[in-house]
Amino acid sequence: MMHSILKRAVTQATEPASAGKPSMTSSIDQTAPDQGDSQTDLQLVRKVRNGDRAAFDLLVLKYQSRVASIISRYVFDSHEVMDLTQETFVKAFRAIDRFRGDSAFYTWLYRIAVNTAKNYLEARSRRPQSSADSADAENYDDGQRLRDIASPEKLLQRDQLQRALNKAIDALPEELRSAFLLREYDGLSYEDIARILECPIGTVRSRIFRARDAVDRHLGPLLNHSASN
Amino acid sequence: MDDRLRETLSAMMDDEADELAVRRLLSFSDQDEVRGQWQRWQQIHDLMHGTGAAADLVSPAADVSAGVWQRLDGGVPASEHNAAKAAGRQRWHWPAVAMIAMALVVGFGAGSGWQSAGELELVTAQTTAEPNATATAASVSEVSLQGLDDRQRQQIHRYLLEHAQHNSVGAGRGSVGYARLVSVDTGGY
Repeated sequence: MMHSILKRAVTQATEPASAGKPSMTSSIDQTAPDQGDSQTDLQLVRKVRNGDRAAFDLLVLKYQSRVASIISRYVFDSHEVMDLTQETFVKAFRAIDRFRGDSAFYTWLYRIAVNTAKNYLEARSRRPQSSADSADAENYDDGQRLRDIASPEKLLQRDQLQRALNKAIDALPEELRSAFLLREYDGLSYEDIARILECPIGTVRSRIFRARDAVDRHLGPLLNHSASN
Repeated sequence: MDDRLRETLSAMMDDEADELAVRRLLSFSDQDEVRGQWQRWQQIHDLMHGTGAAADLVSPAADVSAGVWQRLDGGVPASEHNAAKAAGRQRWHWPAVAMIAMALVVGFGAGSGWQSAGELELVTAQTTAEPNATATAASVSEVSLQGLDDRQRQQIHRYLLEHAQHNSVGAGRGSVGYARLVSVDTGGY
């Protein structure tokens, strides 16, 4: 299993830049690297339990889009989605002491999101508009649903962002791009990437950071514009 | 936020940062900067993984967090809350340092029996001849640390975090700071 992943990663890393270019039209959320049991999440949860609000803010920023995705399978009004997304995080914060770490934090959060949405619909005496539950939540392709309810301006903005992202990734030096894509798309650990690229782990860490920073600088104005609308 | 800290934040995105690094980031004075950087990288990550469209539904990302705090306690965002906390810490900074210094002096004094000046000279002369003298002084200091209250411990903990951070900037010379941090952590943090 691991061998096949590494083999695929090596092939991808050694392909020409254009061939390794990510396809922005396909949803690859199911293979997202941070869908696993995140140590960072557990560290942040511990800090939240000790009263650190900044730690909870980082968790909110990390998961707000995914929580909104889940909720949008049940309600279609963007104000309601926003409202229930906030409600999900409020419930999570209040119940954080009851999170035992048996499952990944995101799984726990997703269950809260699903229950929040279902309870909301029940309270309004409406039948849930989707049969999705937390078990298949991660495998649900929400792209089309979200595209359906997004405004034309938002769609245009999103399209611009994705094209800019493609350009930014293409413009990266080869060694930065390889490390970055192996991490983002193949979800490999720094150790595995170091083995594939035959360089120290510290170098991998630095390359991924520099790649991320370069992409951020490239997209910066567009991201700020997106956040302010 | 310097590049070293931003690189740590990037490693945190990838679940490759250790607990000390997470603490260092969360104790960084300008949390708005940390949030801003984290938020932009998360947006890029979402874009790359097809969940970016959902960001359209939650409008300005910061609003989710602000709305959460508003519901929880009447609208104190994390940045303001932490700023207030930091101001509180600042207020206790010098008294706490003075108390720690006093505790160390008292601890050391008690350990050596509060000798008079003449006796002290004699002890000093003996100390230079005794190879275990340094170890004795260290153990006395450790005993005096055990008498500190939570606030004083937090103060020392903060000091050690900063110490570790300064050490880590020295490219690989951070092991001493980390070792000291761990020894204090086991004492009740």
